[in-house]
Amino acid sequence: MKGLVFHVEEFAVFDGPGLRTAVFLKGCPLRCNWCHNPEGLEMRVQRLKNAERCTHCGACVRACPNPGQPCTACGRCLPACRQGLLSLSGEWMEASELAGRLLRNRALLQGVSFTGGEALLQPDFMLETISLLDGLHCLVETCGHVPSRDFRRVCAALDMVYFDVKLADSQQHRRYTGQGNELILENLAWLKREGPPFVARVPLIPGVNDGADNLEATAALLEGAPRLLRVELLPYNKNAGAKYSLLSLAYRPSFDESRPINADVAPFTRHGLEARVL
Amino acid sequence: MTENLKRLLDFVQSGQNKGQRRELSPERFAQLQEAIVQAGPSLSLRAARRLSLFLAEETTQALPFERIVGRRSLTVFPDIYLPGEREALQSGHYVHEQGRVCNISSDWGAVLREGLWPRRERALQTLRENGQADADFLRAAVETIDAVTAFCDRWADALHQSGQAEAGKGLRLAVRCGAQSFRDALQLFRLLHFCLWASNVYHNTVGRFDQYMLPFLQADLACGLLDEDAAQDLLEEFFLSFNRDSDLYQGMQQGDNGQSLMLGGCDADGACAVNQLTAMCLKASLHLGQIDPKINLRVDKNTPLSLYELGAQLTRQGLGFPQYANDDVVIPGLVRLGYALEDARNFTVAACWEFIIPGVAMDIPNIAAMPLAGVVDGCIRRCLAGCQRFEDLLQDVREAIFQKADELLAPLSPLFLEPAPFQSVLMDGCLERGQDISKGAKYNNYGVHGTGFSQAVDQLLAVKALVFEGDLTPERLLRGMETAFADDAELLYTLRNKAPKLGRDEEALPLADELLGYFADSLRGRTNERGGCFRPGTGSAMYYLWHADELGALADGRLPGEPLAANFSPSLALKDAGPLSVLRAFARPKVLDTINGGPLTLELHDTVFRGEEGLTKVAMLVKGFIDLGGHQLQLNTVNHETLLDAQAHPERHENLIVRVWGWSGRFVLLDKAYQDQIIARTAYGL
Repeated sequence: MKGLVFHVEEFAVFDGPGLRTAVFLKGCPLRCNWCHNPEGLEMRVQRLKNAERCTHCGACVRACPNPGQPCTACGRCLPACRQGLLSLSGEWMEASELAGRLLRNRALLQGVSFTGGEALLQPDFMLETISLLDGLHCLVETCGHVPSRDFRRVCAALDMVYFDVKLADSQQHRRYTGQGNELILENLAWLKREGPPFVARVPLIPGVNDGADNLEATAALLEGAPRLLRVELLPYNKNAGAKYSLLSLAYRPSFDESRPINADVAPFTRHGLEARVL
Repeated sequence: MTENLKRLLDFVQSGQNKGQRRELSPERFAQLQEAIVQAGPSLSLRAARRLSLFLAEETTQALPFERIVGRRSLTVFPDIYLPGEREALQSGHYVHEQGRVCNISSDWGAVLREGLWPRRERALQTLRENGQADADFLRAAVETIDAVTAFCDRWADALHQSGQAEAGKGLRLAVRCGAQSFRDALQLFRLLHFCLWASNVYHNTVGRFDQYMLPFLQADLACGLLDEDAAQDLLEEFFLSFNRDSDLYQGMQQGDNGQSLMLGGCDADGACAVNQLTAMCLKASLHLGQIDPKINLRVDKNTPLSLYELGAQLTRQGLGFPQYANDDVVIPGLVRLGYALEDARNFTVAACWEFIIPGVAMDIPNIAAMPLAGVVDGCIRRCLAGCQRFEDLLQDVREAIFQKADELLAPLSPLFLEPAPFQSVLMDGCLERGQDISKGAKYNNYGVHGTGFSQAVDQLLAVKALVFEGDLTPERLLRGMETAFADDAELLYTLRNKAPKLGRDEEALPLADELLGYFADSLRGRTNERGGCFRPGTGSAMYYLWHADELGALADGRLPGEPLAANFSPSLALKDAGPLSVLRAFARPKVLDTINGGPLTLELHDTVFRGEEGLTKVAMLVKGFIDLGGHQLQLNTVNHETLLDAQAHPERHENLIVRVWGWSGRFVLLDKAYQDQIIARTAYGL
């Protein structure tokens, strides 16, 4: 079957053990205010345009079969731009095609990390791809906001899970990501109980979730999981807004980006968890 | 880092070393020029006299806080020729670069062990016994030995005056009879290396330092003369000394000075020769963070990850080294070229990456460059319309490469090389043969670079996929190339984005081997005037810019003015491929037949090294490439944004160091064309 892939990154250093390739699947149920992969949000092919270098020559407009209509990402304008400023984000690929592409580098490859977007929104595509990967170490990086049935059946086929825990408070979670965290906590509970070994990741967003209360509550949530390998704190990346202009979108964080980040591992250590800042 | 070392580092970095230099007055310059020529018509004798006068004119004053002495005070010194004489002598000859001996590696081990007197004795003996020998050369050799001995004695006095009487004594003894301690060996090396530069030979490489210096270190450690920390300090002070005068030793660009050092590898029997000093050298370079000496590391499939991790620490520093060479490929490759196995096992690198043998080789590993991208472009323009099958085009390419080889090799004889009596003293066998090194040695092979390799492959791939297997007509392609695709943006897009490329697509691999094979075949069996062979290689040196200037739009969609990739690296237009694909694609079995040298260059973004995990993974990546049979690898740690900022605001990035083609240099001192190419190549991959 086909899946919608928007990026394949070889030598993904921070996404699991060994020499890995990360596969970015398109589509995400959350709309995190700090998202740095905005091209991964929609589960459809999208056209990207490097507007900064655009000379407004009009060649792309002339090539458009539906001028004035919403873009269908048909790609007809891409060759029109001599400067190569246009591209498509997202490619519908057969699982076998993706697996074949990954396995070409089998001699150097030790693992595959599925990420996104939210990779688990394409569970069957993931499962088929994994089944074709010749026993390679596979993991998913997930926000956890996916139907529990999908979460469980894919995780059961994986060697490891990287599970994001953004905010312990559901209201706050809804405020900053567009969804409450009930489903996420349900999946986390299963993961702690029955899932494969996992790493918990907390993106530290200044003033949003790096307060002592939230870190304490997050640590409490993660306690009591024998297969939790460690907690990784990921300080907010100030380049998060870099790709929004490619989609003609504006990046509007509702928090103060310049505020110092409280990257404190102590609450986790107090709960007996191994934690580190990446 | 010790206080002493900090002061020495500051002495170099703040430019105080330059403050102590002087220029000869015009009168003194003229006097010295006259004195050189008075040595007679023999260039050997003049070269010796020149060195002798030069060293006598040098100031020898030790800094109170330095233990390894030797610092240039004279910037310029008269040459050995009368006005117009050089041109007359060189007329009708092939003049390689400056017409001087360069890019070879001295027999450092033996020289440091036995000193110069046994060599003086050998020269005199040959003079007495061999009527066939070049008597002028042998007299010149003796004169250089005497001059260098006197020079070392003056530095010994300077050491004495600075309160280091023992070191002074050690130096006097070392230059005559060989070094007795690690410190004396380092000091002697420093001054002999200094004298090489002063003698007008250049790209004076350091060779297999951790092999020939080890016995001195071990002896000192064993008898308690040094402990490991003291030895490390001394080594670092010695490493730093390479940077004192390096601004005077400029090649194509500042930084291109050939002070390359080789670590690791195997011994004459093939056993692993990685030792205590290997790691100490890697650490020294890491602590100092200086451009010189440039570190190379020999590895093979048995090299443990821990050594790669030490290397990765150095890579993280951003100096563009170590550069890795794979013994499993290089040694058999050199044997195929006719090198004796024990010599092949002793390989080091020339100034950049060309594999040479210390002591016994007068190879010229960069005598010419095969413009592979240009040759393929010519064939496509000339022959494509008439080709029925892709194989016909390949046949044309093969023939064109052979023809180009004829053209490249024809003008290379007779070769003019200025005699180099002091360099000859430091080689193996010159004094016994009574023959200057410039006239040849055991190995006299010439290396030919292969420029634009990946874009040669990419052009062929595009034509194969789109013309022979697709519906692109040759007319449309050729018209596009003629006009730089001005009216055919769609074709340009297809060539750049849809056509297969080396480093990403499987179909590139057999074609890459095929092309390497043509190149190898085109030089195989040919001999130069000295009886040596021609060694095809995968390096580009500066030809990646020179040859690029000669090219119009290419069939792979490269536009005029866009640079070619340096060395054995993917096209700068490569997209959607990362390090794994690139490393795998460039670990080509066929490089065994194109083993002159020339690395795959891979740029890593500096964020890769965030944390120890990244470090280990870079080590795993390099090990993976070597285990796959890659021959040579050079990694850069760069940050695209930093480079752009450095171009815009050079004053903020005085000490930003980048790898250029076979050497590292300060980014802000490079010509813009080189800066631009480096910026362009950081854009792919990560």
